[in-house]
Amino acid sequence: MLKKVAVLILSVLLITAFATGCGQKNQGAAGDVVKVGWIGSLTGDQAVWGQSELNTLKMLAEELNNSGGLLGKKIEIVGYDTRGDATEAVNAVKRLISQDKVIAIIGPNTSSSAMAISGILEEFKVPDIATVATNPKVTVLDGKVKPFNFRVCFIDPYQGAVAAGYAYDVLGFKKAAVLYDVTDEYSQGLAEFFIKTFEEKGGKIVAKEAFKSGDTDFRPQLSKIKAANPDVIFMPYFFKEVALSAKQARDLGINSVLMGGDGWPSDTLLEMAADAVEGSYFVNHLDFDDPAVQEFKQKYKAKYGKMPELNGYLAHDAFFMLVDAIKRANSFDPVAIRDALETVDIQGITGRIKIGKDTHNPEGKEAAIIKIEGGKYKFQQKYAVTE
Amino acid sequence: MDWFYIEGVLILAGINIIAVLGLSLLTGFTGLFSFGHAGFMAVGAYTSVYFGERMGLPFLVAIIAGGLSAGLMSLFIGRLTLKLKGDYFCIATLGFGEAIRLLLDNLQVFGGARGWPGIPPKVDLTTVVIFSLLGIIFLVFLINSRHGRAMIAVREEELAAKVMGIDVYRYKVISLFISAVYAGVAGGLLGYYLTFLQPKLFGLQKSTEYTIMVIFGGIGSISGSVLAAFLLTVLPEILRSFAVWRFVIYGAAVIFIMIARPQGLMGGKEITLKGVTSILGIPGKNRRTARSGEV
Amino acid sequence: MNQILQQLINGLSIGSVYALMAVGYSLVYSIMNFSNFAHGGVIMLGAYFGFFFVTLYGMPFWVAFLGAGVCSMLVAVLVERVAYKPLRARNAPFLYFMISAMGASMFMENFVIATIGPTFRTYPQIFPSQPFNLGGIYVGRLDMVMFLISCTSLMALVYFIEFTKLGKAIQATAFNPRASALMGINTDFVIIVVFALGGFLAGIAGVLFGMKYTVYPQIGSITIKSFIAAVFGGLGSLTGAVIGSFILGILETLVSGYMMSQYRDLISFSLLILILVFKPMGLMGKSSEEKA
Repeated sequence: MLKKVAVLILSVLLITAFATGCGQKNQGAAGDVVKVGWIGSLTGDQAVWGQSELNTLKMLAEELNNSGGLLGKKIEIVGYDTRGDATEAVNAVKRLISQDKVIAIIGPNTSSSAMAISGILEEFKVPDIATVATNPKVTVLDGKVKPFNFRVCFIDPYQGAVAAGYAYDVLGFKKAAVLYDVTDEYSQGLAEFFIKTFEEKGGKIVAKEAFKSGDTDFRPQLSKIKAANPDVIFMPYFFKEVALSAKQARDLGINSVLMGGDGWPSDTLLEMAADAVEGSYFVNHLDFDDPAVQEFKQKYKAKYGKMPELNGYLAHDAFFMLVDAIKRANSFDPVAIRDALETVDIQGITGRIKIGKDTHNPEGKEAAIIKIEGGKYKFQQKYAVTE
Repeated sequence: MDWFYIEGVLILAGINIIAVLGLSLLTGFTGLFSFGHAGFMAVGAYTSVYFGERMGLPFLVAIIAGGLSAGLMSLFIGRLTLKLKGDYFCIATLGFGEAIRLLLDNLQVFGGARGWPGIPPKVDLTTVVIFSLLGIIFLVFLINSRHGRAMIAVREEELAAKVMGIDVYRYKVISLFISAVYAGVAGGLLGYYLTFLQPKLFGLQKSTEYTIMVIFGGIGSISGSVLAAFLLTVLPEILRSFAVWRFVIYGAAVIFIMIARPQGLMGGKEITLKGVTSILGIPGKNRRTARSGEV
Repeated sequence: MNQILQQLINGLSIGSVYALMAVGYSLVYSIMNFSNFAHGGVIMLGAYFGFFFVTLYGMPFWVAFLGAGVCSMLVAVLVERVAYKPLRARNAPFLYFMISAMGASMFMENFVIATIGPTFRTYPQIFPSQPFNLGGIYVGRLDMVMFLISCTSLMALVYFIEFTKLGKAIQATAFNPRASALMGINTDFVIIVVFALGGFLAGIAGVLFGMKYTVYPQIGSITIKSFIAAVFGGLGSLTGAVIGSFILGILETLVSGYMMSQYRDLISFSLLILILVFKPMGLMGKSSEEKA
């Protein structure tokens, strides 16, 4: 009996799922609605950032539609979860392109997924704008630009160079320690480029220690770092680990200045780490107090009851990059959009976004240096490195 | 549903079938529980792509090399761990799987944690179907041979098998070797299908998923493993529109099926031609065969 | 010298987190003979229960602490009723229990993501965070609390199992469920008690973990380490689980502190496997018979 009920319920579930899946089949550009795809983590350990991206896109699309839409059509965002897994990203993009017929894709928030999908993008000629995929190889591989991959953020070598340059030249630190997540692509990349620039400038890396994603205790590594007595500890990873490691560093009596990258900014960091991160610096994409940013922040907060994470700001700019390209292409044809994306030059909330034709990166985007003072993010200066 | 999307899911299902077949031999037929299969897959994947892309060997050679390297690795691991029993073996393989992943995370030659992009796509549905058919045929012959029966004997009762003169340790080694080769081949195919490799792809989660598939299909059933690998690859795709609720449903479905049908889909039985014909109402000679083919 | 003492203290503190999680897990193992992978999920829920009791309802710490224990107890019993009891009724092999447990754990983690959301949450400060400074060696207050609680709960459990009537019933059931049922022991009730105890310990572990670190849906994945520690200590032995946890914690710390932290798990797992090669039933493994 139980068996039959089980089979029955399961089949009903599958059939409804199938039916809803097929029901969404209306053609992307045909009709009054144009579909834009999004992929990223809605579940898994990156879910915090992924959900913020999708929320942002849905909010912006709704706003755009309420103010008359785009080229007379309404925009619909179709978002799929990847759990941060490249295999899932490939499936999700295949579904977006072939079944939902999206005209362009925004996301994903990991470089690995962005690299895994480029083959499909090229085969089906649909452009993708990655939000925070910072690995250089996302858009340029073996010296050749990937025609359908774009991004809105700056890349690891740049961010690493900014952090190292600021630490060495502006703050005058000569001895640095690095703690990084060896199993995380972003952390490994940023650590490598920070070390490279810092050493080129004449600084000394006194300790390089690693942990694994999912770890919560960093005292063994920190105790070792403490013995090396660095001026600054570079922590290129995300804010949950930053808060924990900063607190543990202070508990061990480490007084070095802490520094980090764009994995840091979040209201949750200040809440979690409190005074442990006081006096720390990090590299950011924007100044949170910039008046241009306030409007977005408030709208998001009003709609979702919490502050956007950094990914939300970048998803915001990716969205307007796409809108700009569609307007100038005056068409919803994915290839025409791609061509227009190559010449995007807009003012976003994360700075001026001028896409380089040969890199598909926003060129010369200045980084913002933020200091944590009195439990608040204090903008220090815009900082750019010339290479 | 568009063919291109379905094709992608089918290719992935085929790759999973190969890996699950291997694990099925180990878990379902020899009674050893491995949580390190993703590790063997990683070894196979990276070796295949290394031989294929850095050394320029033909695709087929590269895939076979990947399978063999995973097999060699299993001989080494097996030597250390196959004397362990039950959960002790399980934990040792888990440790192995995580160790391999950490090693690859550190190896900058292969791109480290940042992954290895730009692998040319060389796997299509035909390749995967051929590989999985070969995998199924080989396994069917193996299971029905003297060696296969010896492995089942090891699973059922080690001591009795020993008394009967079966070299238990040797059969465990063979079983682990073959299953690692399957995992290695599946890894190589995955790399060439995704065009991207990253240690994160071969985490504990993957090993767990494969184990779930084997049990789901029913211990000691090849057709069950194939069916389960297929269904459980397709299920998350069907549930895709449920967004955050997807794996809530998946988890509930796993429990549900375990309690509703704890012997797994096939319950140790096989889909046979005779069984199928009698289900379809074509009169068969023997009614008992109909029962053995029941799904 | 200072550094090595500090590292040992770090190791003990990490070990006590593992131990706290391993005790409940090992308890269930010793009766049911299967790895209850849902234990991590219950720990995670325990952390959330405690968090909401403290922040939403403003309960004093100890009320929240016990409340989270009781709620997790209910969850663990619920999991047992839904996911394991039907299997027990059919005498299914242990593999099916494990798969069912994995399903339950996946369900719990994703249910929390879908309903409460993936955001990280922090307990308000309950113990002063300033650690004791013993001549340059820093010992966290919460670490000492956790260490004490792991040891106390272990001793209480051992007492309960060895010296109470119910405990004896548990032992009998672990030894031979059918014979003990014939002797008039209500095995179903005994199993509920075991899961309730395991759940209570999970809840406590969750709250302490949440206070020490933070609360998020993936906490359960840490239990993999306790699982390893419990196996290493000898499955089914509570003392073994605790000792195994402390050894793993110290081993990890020493590898990170004096070898290469990049290869921590590679080295520590290889060492554990090597030790298992020489002691195939773990450190305190009871019988040479296969438990699984």
